Parts: sequence; structure tokens; C-alpha cells
Amino acid sequence: MTSASHVTIRKRAALLFLFVTVVMLGLVGRLTYLQFIKSEWLRENATDQRVREIPVEAKRGIIYDRNGRELAVSVNTESVYAIPAEIVNADETAAKLAAILTLDADKLSLKLKRRQSFTWVKRKITESEALALKNIDLPGIGLTQEGRRQYPYDNLASHVLGFTGIDSQGLDGVELTFDSYLKGHPGGIVIEYDARGQEIPYVSHRYVPPVDGQNIYLTIDVVIQQIVERELDKALRETQAKSVSIVVIQPKTGEILALANKPDYNPNNFAEYPPILWRNGAISNAYEPGSTFKIITTSAALGDNVVTPEEKFFDPGEVEVQGRFIHCWKAGGHGSQTFTQVVQNSCNVGFVNVGLRLGAEAFYRYIQAFGFGRVTGIDLPGEAKGIIINQEKVTPINIATMAMGQSIAVTPIQLICAAGAIANDGNLLRPQIVREVKEKDGNVIRQFQPDSVGNAINDKTAQTVKGILENVVEEGSGRGASVEGFRIAGKTGTAQKVGSGGYVAGKYVASFVGFAPADDPAFAMLVIIDEPVGPYYGGVIAAPVFNAVAKDIFQYMKLIPTAQKNPDQVEHPHVIVPGVINHLVADAVQDLKKVQLQARVEETGDRVADQVPKPGSRVPEGSFVLLYTLTPRYAVGNITVPDLTGKNERETVDILAELGLFIQPFGHGINAVNQNPAPGSKVPPGTTVVVFYE
Amino acid sequence: MLSRRLLKNLDFTIIIVTAVLILISLVIIGSATHINNPSQERYWFVERQGMFALANIVIVFILLHFDYKSLGKYANLLYAVNLIMLMAVMFVGQSALGAQRWIQIGPISLQPSEFSKIIMIISLAHMLDKRSGKLNTFKEIIPVFIYVGVPFLLVLKQPDLGTALVFLAILFGMIFVAGINLKHLGAIGLAGAALMPIFWHFLKDYQKKRLTVFLDPNIDPLGSGYHIIQSKIAIGSGMLFGKGLFGGTQSQLNFLPENHTDFIFAVIGEELGFIGASIVLLLYFLLLYRSVKVAGEARDNFGMLLATGISSMLMFHLLVNVGMTAGIMPVTGIPLPLMSYGVSALTTNMVCIGILLNIYMRRQKIMF
Repeated sequence: MTSASHVTIRKRAALLFLFVTVVMLGLVGRLTYLQFIKSEWLRENATDQRVREIPVEAKRGIIYDRNGRELAVSVNTESVYAIPAEIVNADETAAKLAAILTLDADKLSLKLKRRQSFTWVKRKITESEALALKNIDLPGIGLTQEGRRQYPYDNLASHVLGFTGIDSQGLDGVELTFDSYLKGHPGGIVIEYDARGQEIPYVSHRYVPPVDGQNIYLTIDVVIQQIVERELDKALRETQAKSVSIVVIQPKTGEILALANKPDYNPNNFAEYPPILWRNGAISNAYEPGSTFKIITTSAALGDNVVTPEEKFFDPGEVEVQGRFIHCWKAGGHGSQTFTQVVQNSCNVGFVNVGLRLGAEAFYRYIQAFGFGRVTGIDLPGEAKGIIINQEKVTPINIATMAMGQSIAVTPIQLICAAGAIANDGNLLRPQIVREVKEKDGNVIRQFQPDSVGNAINDKTAQTVKGILENVVEEGSGRGASVEGFRIAGKTGTAQKVGSGGYVAGKYVASFVGFAPADDPAFAMLVIIDEPVGPYYGGVIAAPVFNAVAKDIFQYMKLIPTAQKNPDQVEHPHVIVPGVINHLVADAVQDLKKVQLQARVEETGDRVADQVPKPGSRVPEGSFVLLYTLTPRYAVGNITVPDLTGKNERETVDILAELGLFIQPFGHGINAVNQNPAPGSKVPPGTTVVVFYE
Repeated sequence: MLSRRLLKNLDFTIIIVTAVLILISLVIIGSATHINNPSQERYWFVERQGMFALANIVIVFILLHFDYKSLGKYANLLYAVNLIMLMAVMFVGQSALGAQRWIQIGPISLQPSEFSKIIMIISLAHMLDKRSGKLNTFKEIIPVFIYVGVPFLLVLKQPDLGTALVFLAILFGMIFVAGINLKHLGAIGLAGAALMPIFWHFLKDYQKKRLTVFLDPNIDPLGSGYHIIQSKIAIGSGMLFGKGLFGGTQSQLNFLPENHTDFIFAVIGEELGFIGASIVLLLYFLLLYRSVKVAGEARDNFGMLLATGISSMLMFHLLVNVGMTAGIMPVTGIPLPLMSYGVSALTTNMVCIGILLNIYMRRQKIMF
């Protein structure tokens, strides 16, 4: 061995040692990475793969109207889940389950073989399915309780209530905005498993009980809501409008008493309706308000003292602004008139002059003070804020048209709140949809108080505007809204719709906004009829709707008419509307008379196809019940024809009515013996079933 | 009897480190296996590994009486025995985990490839002893490669890719220290890299999968990536202090396979945390430091080469095993020296430690 090679060897041994050091440092570095930097993630992974949780759903809170009537309730139903790791024979299990639950066995088998800790087999099954499942013991398959949402009033207030999804999560309406109160906290059963999917013995299953959701009391009054929806249904049929909306608020509190748009949907099976019907137009749609906006112009003009009610105006029929002529709706003009008469006549020329006198700064100040151009903050999803021309870019012609309610887009909720402010002595309130949130045991968790946004106008101005608006109903364009014995303030509106490139011929929005009684307002109401066919003036088609609703509200609220203070008239008790669908019209009228209700037959036909309000509704005595003879009650999906044999005539009539089918009786006898179509057939709504009696 | 002088020259660091590692290993094996055994045999693995450790101490003590130099005399014989043993596995071996690696002798299953590692070191050290400093031309180098290549191919055929790679580690470690011309070493390295695709072609599918899946175990999380994912989860979820002995959910609940053998380091990481795992790595570092030192201080070339071979083997095992559990090395079935359960490996490793002690003990040239 040479000494040179010995040196080499030592040098190389040293290099080898250096290599060892590097390797060790590398390993320690990797440990640091795994155990410090990525540790949290890896730790969760470790927990995830050994802990499985079977969800136990919390019972969703109930939604009540302001008087404690149930509008949305949750009923318990069973749901079937699977823990694939525990299943002994996936194919066999799938076959058995599929038979009971009417599922596809092959698809289910694949699902059960999938490597996952938990999967739903079928959710919200029927009672008989649940019973059948409980009788067979399948390892790895279990039942858990879930809540299914029910809306006992069907379509009523659907745009306020909204609906929930399969996980009972709020998807729209107050179901969505108050989801955090309603949903509660889901519980669960936590089970620890080893790698073979076996439960670990001696480790107790932890049961985490769910916390039920809280109950919500809306500001909505079911009775007023029913009155409103009855009149909306009628208005929709009569005007054949694209849609109709009404919002009723309590001016002193900002509480919404009723809010509805038609057409609407049934939240019990919302998925069967096109999503466009889910849209709550009353808060989501911005529209050009037309003359109803003149109440804002009037308030601004009187508030800033640019006019007095008695001041004289002359309307030659047109006015020139920046080289453009704005015409009054009345050919030839209104001639000489006071400002009060300008409002009464809804005179465009007069308002243009007033608007120009106000000027941009003052006008915009009031527009903002009345809450336009921003959301009102109502606790409902999807609120729009409208469109206002930027104040810096606004021209005199804009001001002139805005004064008569054009060149500006507002939402119905904004307009009714602004009208409410005039009714409430000038104080603008945030609209409320919920009064209280209560726990199951009645403890109040949250209470909503009137929420003042600020004074839009002072009290004195408000009183003056009220007086002028009362005149509009008494003597002006709003006469259609007047109810004998009551002081009503209001304003009509007729706006041509704006399409691409300008106003669209033949498309109008007719509306009426008002409140009553004018001296001490109990409610303010906005009626909007969008794209009516035929007459389109607000005074002609919207004011009567206001009138019809107001009449019933006066009765319901037991307001005493000022003119004829006859206590007998106000002491009308309430009655329950009987079900008369499928009855002969003459019989139906008689049935209604028996309970002191008046019938109004809307179509010509022998039998009643639909009625408004619906059977079971509570309405003031003497109210009208609309009877339709042609349009069937249900418009969606096919109906399974029931087996009628053995039923008597009365029963068959009611059963078919409930399903939305017509009846054609044949023969005389006590019981039905035959029918066509046969039981179990699927037929479209409104199909006539021939029933033979013996 | 051993002379006083020789006893005084024993490397006590190596002895203590080895003893501590084996003790830790027994505890961890107990933790990893007790839950799956019936209660009366709860600590069967621990007892068996402990018994063999004790028996090996006796064997090592006896071997210390003989000068390691005499191993050189048996080198060629051992080389022949090695070849016979490896061929025997092919014909009478038992299959386990897709490879023929075991020979059953009475109650003991032997893994000849474990023993062949030490035989490889001894016989190669003997061969290189005469060629030290004479590895400057390919003519001189090629016989060395053929010498290692024959058992290498036999092991590869089993197939035991892990052991085959250990052979390469031993070969390169030893020829490097033996003074191979670095240019030639570089050339061989390049040639090896160039031949990789051909080598790859001969691999079985499961080997190819194992070699690549560690780069992204999530491409097959329930198949070949499963070990790696579970091992990483085990180590990572241990964090700084670990979940405590017998408290690792990954290892106790069978999520981590082979937790007492190849993946024992993951159990350490999970139950003893970063601190425990770092202490174990520190112990290995001490052991490797001492073994390289033994090589440097050996009395002759043969001792130096033996110690180098052993160092290379230990280091390669450590790197690949810990790297595998930490997800930066492919899964090749290489156990953690002195810690993984397995009596063949334990015996091999302890005999290696014995040889290191033997070399160090006799480092001084006897002066008369």
C-alpha cells in the first residue's frame, strides 16, 4: 500500500462522511416539512379517514304570519343512507333497496360500491317505504330523520316565503334571508372506524343532538295577503297583463302587511315552475313609475316652497324644454288651473314647470331623501336599486321628464316606502318583513322596531301633500279608488314601457299608489299592472284594484267609515270560504250565500273550475268569491286519476276537485261503479272524468 | 479470551447507539403490532425480535475473538455460497408480496438476500483489497463489475429490486473509497444513466409503479400510492410531540400497512413526533459517523473496505427507508437497519456492527 493511496482513501472517507451529513440534513428537512408545514392538513386527513359522521338534521323553524298562523312548517320524514364500507353484499343490498324505494338497482349498486364513507341512498322517503325498510335488516344501511318543508297555504305569499332545497337550506325569500335563524344546528352521530371499515369496539358513538331552528313571525297578515292575492288573480285575468303586483305596508312602522306578484308559484313544488316565476318583481324589478312619481315632485316642490297649492298654472297643451316639446296627455291642455288641480289632473306641463323651478340640486336632494337610487334594505333577497341619471350629467330635459316620472327607474318597494313616508308625516322608514324571531319555547331572540331612515319632508309639507292627494281620489284621476265613507289619498300612474331605443308602443305599466285613511293612515298600497291588454290607464284598471282591496281591508281592520258611522256594518264576523270547485255554478252560489259570501261568476260554464279565495280561507262576511268555470285549478304536471268506485256523488265531486279534474256524472244512484279514464291513468289538469253511478 | 488492550479499544459509542436503537425498535414494534394479535400473543413480535437480538449479541461477542482478517480467507467460499443461496431461493423459495425471497428452515424463514448483503461486502472487500489504488483503467475496473454483477442479477431476478440497489450502493461506496479514477466513475455513472431505459424495460409493472408513484401518490391512492399517502399522513399528523406511544391512530387502526417492518419510521414519526424522529435520526448519524471513522482508522485496506461497505449499506438503507416513509423515495421494500422487524435483517445488521467493532478494536498495528 502506497502512502499516496492512503491519503486518497482518507480523503474519500471524509467525502463519504460529508455525503452522510447531507443525507441526514435532507431527511430532517423533509421531516420538518411534513410535521410542521403540512402537518395540519395531514392531521385532518388522518381524522377524516377514520371518523364518519351520520348527519342528524335540525328541525327548521316555523314561519308564522303576524298573528301566529303557520305559513311554513317542517314535517319529519325519513332519509336512507349507506355506509359502503359496512355493506356485506353491495349487489344484493342494492337489489333489495331498489325494490322498496323504486330506484335503479344497477346504479345504486355502483353507488354502494364506491369508496366513500357516507352516501345518501334516497332522501325524504314516504312512510310506507320507511316502514318496509325497517322490517329488513341490511348492514351498512340506515335511516335518519330529515325535515321536509310544507307550505300549507300553497301559493300564498310565495314571493315572501321563498323555498328550501333538499338539505333544508333556504334558497329564496325569508327562507334564505333568515336561514341562519331558521336552520338551527345539525347534529350527528360520530363513529370511529379502522382501516378495514370496522367500528372500533369500546369507543362510544358520540351523539351530538341537533339544535332546532328558531321561529319567525312575519309582518305579513294572512288575511290581507289573501285579499290582495284574490284581487291580483282577478286583475291578472281581467287585464291579461304580463304580471301584477301589490305591496301593502303599515306607514307608521314600515311593516309590510302584504306583498304579492302574479303569476307566482307554489313553494311546495317550486321546481316544477319556471325560475322566472320565482322572481319577486315587487323588489327586484325597476320600472319607470310615470305619474305615481309625481307625488315625489309634489312633495319636493311644496317642501322647497317653489309652489303653493293655490298657485295658478296655465297648460296650453305643450311646453318647450331645450328645443323639445313635451305634450300633456290631454290634447289641447288643461288650460288654467291651480297646482292642486295640476296634481288632480296629473298635468304633465304643470309638472314640467314645477320640476324646472326646483332645479337639479333640490330635486335630487328630495329624490335621495325619499330613498330612491339605493336599496331600501328590506330583508328579502334580490333587491334592485333602480336607475337615476348621474346628477352631474343631468340636463334640464331630464329634470323635466323626471318631474313626471320618466327618465328614472324605481322599484315598487322604493315607491311604496316613499308614499309611506308622506303618510307617516314625512318620516321615511326602512321596510320590514319580519317582526320577531322567537325560540321554540317562545323566548324572543330578536325584535324588529321601526327603523327610521330620516325625514324626507317636514310634517307640514306632508299634511299639505296628503290633502292634495286626497283631492286626486275625490275629484281627480284617482276616483276609481275611492271608497265611500273613507278618506283616501293617492295618485294614478300610466307609463309607457321603455324598450331598446325608446318607448314601446302599446306596452304600458298602469299603477296606483295611495294610503288610507288619509288623516290617520292604517295602510299604504301600491298596485302595479304590467303590460295590460286593452285599457291601460292607471285610473281605469289599477285604481279599482286598490278600491277592491281597500274595501276589504277597511272591514278587516274594523275601520269606521266617517260618513256613515253604522256600527252594524263594521261588526262583520269572518267566515271560512267553502270549497265549491266542481259544483254546479248555481249550487256554488247557494253554498256561498249560506255563509254570507257573495259569488262573482267570471266565466260562462256549468261547473266551477276554480275559486278565489281558495277553500278554507278566512275572509270577512260579505266578501266576494270569484268563481271560474273554464280555467282549471292546477296548471302544472299530469294528474293521476283516482279510483272512485264505491264513493258517493258528493265524495267523487270533492276528490276530483281536489285534484283539479272536472266531473261528468252519468246515471243515477248512490255509488260510483265505473269511470273513464280508468283509475291510475295520467291526464292533464282540467280533464273531464266521466263517472257512472248506480 | 480477549486481551485487555482489545477491550479497551472497543468503540463504546457504536455499542451504546446500537443498543438504544434496538431498544427503541422493540418498543415501537410492540406499539405497532400489539393491537392485531390475540391477547396471549400480544407481544409475539417483540419477544421474537428481542430473543434474536440477545442471540446476536452472543454471536457478535464470539466473533470479536477472531481477527476480521481471517474473513478474507473465506471470501471466495462465501461468494460461492452466496450464489448458491440466491439460486436456491428461485427454486425452493416462498413467495411473499410478489417476490420469491424466503427460505423456510425449521421454524425460521430466512431471507437470503439479507445475508447476501454482508457476504457481498466481505467478498468485494477481499477482491478490492488487492486492487486498491489500481482502479485506473477500465480493464482493471470491469472485473469488479462482473464480480458484483452476477449476484446482482440473481437478486434482481427474485425480484428484489431493493437488495439489488443495495448491492450497487455497496459497490459504488467501496470503489469510491478504494480510489477509483473519478473520470472513470463519472463515465460509468453516465453509462448507467444511458442504460436506464433498457433496465426499465425489464422491470415488472408493479416495480415501475412503485418507482414512480411516490412522485404523485394521488394517481393511485388506494393502490400503489396507498402506503405513501398513509405513511405521510402518519408522520405529518404526529407534529412536534407525537400522539404518544400506542396512541398513533394511523398505525393502531391499520391504516398504515407494514407498520412494524418497512414503515416503522412512520410509526415513530406519528407516535413520537418530530422530536422522537429527530432523536432516532441523530442516533443513526452518530452510528454512521463512527462507522466512517472506523473505515478511516482501519489498520489495513481490507478493514477500511469492509467498514466502507458497511457504512454504504447502512446509509443507503437509512436514506431509502426514511425517504420512502416521508414520501421522497420510491417504495422498494428496504428495511430500516436495526429497527424494522425481521430477524434476518437484524442478524445481518448486528453482524455488521460486530465487524465494525472488530476492525476498530484492532486498528492499531501491533508493535512488538
